[in-house]
Amino acid sequence: MTTTNEHVLVNPVTQPVIAPFNGAPRLASLAGTRVGLIDDSKRNADVLLEELAEILRTRYEISGVKWHRKPSASRPADPEALKELVEECDAVVVAIGD
Amino acid sequence: MSEIGETTTVQWDSALEAIERCYELGWTDGLPVVPPTEARVAEFIERSGRPSAEVIGELPERRREITVGKVAANAVMAGCLPEYMPVVLTATEAMLDPVFNLVGPSSSMGGSGILTIINGPVVRELNINARNNLFGPGNRANATIGRAVRLILMNACAAIPGVFDRSVIGHPGKYTYCIAEAETETHWTPLHVERGFQTGQSTVTVFAGESPRQVRSVGRPEPILLAIADTASSLGTNMSTSGSVGETGTGVRQGEIVVTIAGNSGLWQDWTKDQVRDFIFQRAQRNVAELKQAQVLAGDVEPGDESTPVSLIPEPSDILLLFAGGEESNMSSVIPSWGPKVGSTAVTKVIN
Repeated sequence: MTTTNEHVLVNPVTQPVIAPFNGAPRLASLAGTRVGLIDDSKRNADVLLEELAEILRTRYEISGVKWHRKPSASRPADPEALKELVEECDAVVVAIGD
Repeated sequence: MSEIGETTTVQWDSALEAIERCYELGWTDGLPVVPPTEARVAEFIERSGRPSAEVIGELPERRREITVGKVAANAVMAGCLPEYMPVVLTATEAMLDPVFNLVGPSSSMGGSGILTIINGPVVRELNINARNNLFGPGNRANATIGRAVRLILMNACAAIPGVFDRSVIGHPGKYTYCIAEAETETHWTPLHVERGFQTGQSTVTVFAGESPRQVRSVGRPEPILLAIADTASSLGTNMSTSGSVGETGTGVRQGEIVVTIAGNSGLWQDWTKDQVRDFIFQRAQRNVAELKQAQVLAGDVEPGDESTPVSLIPEPSDILLLFAGGEESNMSSVIPSWGPKVGSTAVTKVIN
């Protein structure tokens, strides 16, 4: 029961609904692994990832990379492309250039 | 938790205090709001004919589900009348369509307003302004429907300035940005009919747009359209930039534009909308030399660059053309899209 100066307002704000998920197990070593690289298509994302790929090859001895370039930075990555990365890679790195 | 959603009990003894409570709760766009009391929100939900808890769309990137009840609470706060609810609900559904990709235009540094364009009989029924002072101010339906869209973005879609909304300069249309087409006062085919709906249906089209650029060129069709094309192809829009261009092969962002043309429709008696669009499309371009000089495209200017045009609009059909604005003069406006078409595409939905 509210008193005369109490008023009930409907909250217009939403709260995030977060489904539980389990992260993939961490890799003990990068040696011999294949690393996926997602280029968000903004300027310099490719420069950053190319440099990273070189470091991963020379210092961490990865076996190779799989590159995916999004058609637009603003859109989520294509689920098919993500599925391929999951199937073919041991780890994935995302770069946001600008 | 009541039947219509999560509630908060507050105290006030006057209208002024009621407004202040809403500020304290962090629910406003900076302007005073109508307090979303249970009774008023219930009235809006009832008018929608849909259950409060019905999810009308999702924003997966921010893990948000937007319900009829949340839309109603924000529409109340914006100052809407209950009969505006179907329009506000449809606008919300449209901007949550995956094709619109709301997370982009509602978070980007570029900073768009979500322009809502209303067509069909609802324009007359709700007295939505399509004429003088098209973009406002002065008319309740336009002002409050557009404002409801913004409050829904801020409160229900988490597009909070400085947090998820990273717009560098924003724009005035982010307070309210709702127009209609004066479709009964022109021989041109209304926007919604061009987009596949019936004349007797009412629709909402949402478009992620920059602010309107006023085009002051009047008198004859060709000079007016030249000025519109010049404005649409100016350097410095989100379209005449590179970066995140998609796979257009052009090196520039190609996007949709909205064009409004006001005045006396008799001036356009020999022109169809398709002819107007073709005229603008053929001229809404910059050559490679200009784009290189402006550092939109990389590299030094080379022979032939000046004679190599780059279109800033993908197709003529990507020009959303409206007959709208005051009848006093044939003034126009151009609204460049917030980003490339691949990043966000206008969506039209029917109002049920």
